Amino acid sequence: MMNKTKLDWRIDWRKGVMALVLCLTLAVSGCQTQAPSQFDQVQKDSTARNATPAVAKDATKGGEFNKFFPKGQDGYERVYTQEKKGFAEAKLKKDGKELAMLAVTDTRSLPAAAAKFANAKATIAGYPSVDLGTTQTSVLVSDRYQVKVISKAPSFDKEARAKWIQKFDLNGLSKLK
Amino acid sequence: MSKSIFELVDQLPTGGTTIMALNALDFVIPGQWQNLTGFTNTIRSVTGESDEAMIQAIGERAVYLYNDEGEGYQRAMWLYQTVDNAAGALGMAAMANKIGQDVSFLGFLGNLTPKPEKVQSIDLCVKLVVELVAYCQINGLPGDSVGDFLAALGDYGGESLMRMVALICFDGLIPLGPGFIDKGLGTLNNMTPNELEKNDTFKSVSTLIPGNNSSDKLGFIGQSFDSVRGWMTGFVDEKGLTQQNTLDNLQKFVKISEDKLDYVGAFLDISVKYYTHTGTQTLARRLIERAVAEL
Repeated sequence: MMNKTKLDWRIDWRKGVMALVLCLTLAVSGCQTQAPSQFDQVQKDSTARNATPAVAKDATKGGEFNKFFPKGQDGYERVYTQEKKGFAEAKLKKDGKELAMLAVTDTRSLPAAAAKFANAKATIAGYPSVDLGTTQTSVLVSDRYQVKVISKAPSFDKEARAKWIQKFDLNGLSKLK
Repeated sequence: MSKSIFELVDQLPTGGTTIMALNALDFVIPGQWQNLTGFTNTIRSVTGESDEAMIQAIGERAVYLYNDEGEGYQRAMWLYQTVDNAAGALGMAAMANKIGQDVSFLGFLGNLTPKPEKVQSIDLCVKLVVELVAYCQINGLPGDSVGDFLAALGDYGGESLMRMVALICFDGLIPLGPGFIDKGLGTLNNMTPNELEKNDTFKSVSTLIPGNNSSDKLGFIGQSFDSVRGWMTGFVDEKGLTQQNTLDNLQKFVKISEDKLDYVGAFLDISVKYYTHTGTQTLARRLIERAVAEL
């Protein structure tokens, strides 16, 4: 009996401490007002009940794109890094140093990505081409597949990006159904 | 709804025990891990982009991708967080007794129980498998061949490599000593599915480990661990890692007395959340890389 009483007291004591900790946590977190974020709206949109999925159902499997990537050559190394539905990406390296990312994406998931080519003034290998931000160059193949090269090193400039876009098998990709 | 990806990245700590412990491992891969925190900060660092409109667009696409449950990013986050918390649960219970008393590190150690070697061995193996499963949830299976996939794994750098270094040091070398790889494999080989089911770390993540039942899952864990043992052995040799030099470096950050070494593993378990921390950083990086490519 003595033991039992002692045990009960211990349990209650622990419960008390837990309750205190919980109260403190609530009090502290409750007092903090969450600063608004520049991503609040997109968070709301993308988690709404009827939100469009990030990736289109009929997007091409990422694995289908692999064979159109440039091969590693002349000291350049190609390391595949991601392969998801509608997307495949590889890293371009030389002497262990990251130079650029090479990517093919299916714009079915993000039509705005294809729409930006409507006003393209330049072409690479006959495909409409645009520069985006300060590090990206891309072409649109078959009005659907975007081939993009993204600089990761300052030495890898716009010219280098255009050169590596041409190393993709763009014609092969254009025949992908 | 769980936290948004930008909140998770914005709230990554810039100090505290986890960061100190990871910094203590800088000697293994000098300068390769920087504690990158903050969502827009991460976008700038990963992409080298300075155009604010572009940063906003990349962030928005990344948020969209993360919130699409079919894409696997939330499962990966859950895995990283869960495997950390499972390990810490026992230690936290022990620490609850210490409230209001001596909370110095050594006083606190006295209330921890060193984990039995067998439990620690299972934890090590399960954590490694969690890394592989989370990797596939985030990245898919890159390339067309096993060689491509191994090259992708071999390309681990930055926070991903730091996570593996921490796994080797905090869950391997320190608690199990230099033979930690063989101990891990040996434990798995002599284990029944029933025993595995009793392990807290396994229990917490078993739903996402491939296999129809515990027996399959045990097989998967064994195969996975076996397939990376070569890499791990090579890494430990190449870096000259020992229990002693790991502890020496840790002691620069946290005071540990020699006769309490048994407890260091338990201490690390409850106070160092390295899977959650570096896992969030890895996930953010990969999401951002994908978002840039898709825009």
